Amino acid sequence: MSEFHDPFPSYETMSQHDEAHGKKARRTLWNVFWLLLVVTIVEVIVGLYAVDWNLSKTFLKIFFIGFTLVKAFYIVYTFMHLGHESKWTKWVIIGPFTGFILYLIFMMVIGEGNYSMTKRLDEPAAKVEHVDGGGH
Amino acid sequence: MAGATANLEKIEGWDGQTSPMRASYGKLFMWFFLVSDALTFSGFLCAYGFFRHRFAGEWPDPQEVFHHFPFLHGKHLPLMYVGLMTFILIMSSVTMVLAVEAGHRKNRRQVLIWMFATIIGGFMFVGSQAWEWYNFIKGTDTGAVLYENKMYLYKVDHTTHAIDTTTLRFKGAELSKEESARIIASGEKFYGANLKHNEYGHIAFADFFFFITGFHGFHVFSGVIINIVIFIMALQGYMDRVGHYEMVEKVGLYWHFVDLVWVFVFTFFYLL
Repeated sequence: MSEFHDPFPSYETMSQHDEAHGKKARRTLWNVFWLLLVVTIVEVIVGLYAVDWNLSKTFLKIFFIGFTLVKAFYIVYTFMHLGHESKWTKWVIIGPFTGFILYLIFMMVIGEGNYSMTKRLDEPAAKVEHVDGGGH
Repeated sequence: MAGATANLEKIEGWDGQTSPMRASYGKLFMWFFLVSDALTFSGFLCAYGFFRHRFAGEWPDPQEVFHHFPFLHGKHLPLMYVGLMTFILIMSSVTMVLAVEAGHRKNRRQVLIWMFATIIGGFMFVGSQAWEWYNFIKGTDTGAVLYENKMYLYKVDHTTHAIDTTTLRFKGAELSKEESARIIASGEKFYGANLKHNEYGHIAFADFFFFITGFHGFHVFSGVIINIVIFIMALQGYMDRVGHYEMVEKVGLYWHFVDLVWVFVFTFFYLL
C-alpha cells in the first residue's frame, strides 16, 4: 500500500472484517452508547437533586469523577478501538499519559499549587493583582 | 482480515520483520497527537480545579449560572441544556464509530451516510455552544453591581432562586442593608461576563469558561472541517482506490477524543 513501511503486513487493512463480524461489532457499539447515555442521565439527575438529597461534597466528587472515568474508559476502549490494538500500542499510549497526569496532579496538590495556595496568593503584593478579579 | 490477523499473531514483535505496534504510521501518530492534546486539556482542567478550590467561597454555582433552555425563557432548568449538548455529542460519536465500522466492511454508501450524520451533529453542538456563550455573555435580568472596580452580587435564595435586590454579597460574604443600599446607589449595573468582569462570581470562572469551552469548541469545529474533507474524499472514491478506509478511522479517533474531552468538561464545569 505504502512504501514508507514494510509491505507485510498491511496494517491499514488489518481491521477490515466481514458482514457477520460487523453485526457483532455494531451490537457492542450500541450497547456502549446506551451505557454512556444512562450514565449521563444518572449524573444529571444526581446533579439536580444533590442539594435536596443532602449528598456530601466528597461523595459527589467521587461519584462524578468515578462515573466520568467509566465513560472515558468505554469511549477509549470501544469507540477508539484501543481494546483491539496490540499490547505495545496500548502501553505507549496509556503509559506516558498516565505518568504525566500523575505528575501534573502531584505538582498541583503537593508542589507549586500548594505553595501558591498557602503562601503566594495571600501576600499583599500578589493580592493587589487579584482585587479586580477577585472582588466579588 | 481474519486470515491476515491469524498470520500476524504468529509473528513476534521486535524481530525486525514487523512492528510490535501492529498499527499504521498514520494511526499511531494520530494517537500520539491526541495524547499531547489530552495533556493540554488536563493542564487546563487542573488549573480550573486549583482556582476553584482556592476561591471556593466566591466561586459561582454552575447551576445558578447555566439554567437556560431555548424557548423557555425565565424558567430555572439547570443541567438540561448542557445534558442535551452532551447527548448530541455522544450521539455524533456513535454515528462516527458506525462510519468507521462501515469502513471496515468497505461499504462506501454507509460510510457516507454515517459521516454526514456526524457532521450534522458537530454543527449542532457548535451551535449549541454559541447559544450557551450568548446567554453567559448577555447575563441575567437583574445583573450585579460594579462599584470601584469590584463586583457586588445580589443575594440569592438557593432553594427558591429568588433574588434579593436590597442585599449584596462580596467575596461570598453578605453585606449589611445600609452598606448594600449605599453601593447600589453609587455603583453601576453590570450584566453578564467578559474577560475582566463577571456578574456571576469570581472572574476566573468566566476566564476559564471562555478559554476551556472555547478551546474545546474550536476542536469540535476543526473536527467538523476534517470530517467534511474526509466525507468529500470518500464521496470521490479515494478510499476505494487505495483499498482501505483507514482515513475514516483516523478522523474518527480525533472525533472521539473531542467527545472524551467534553465528558470531562461536563463533569468539572457543570456537575462539580
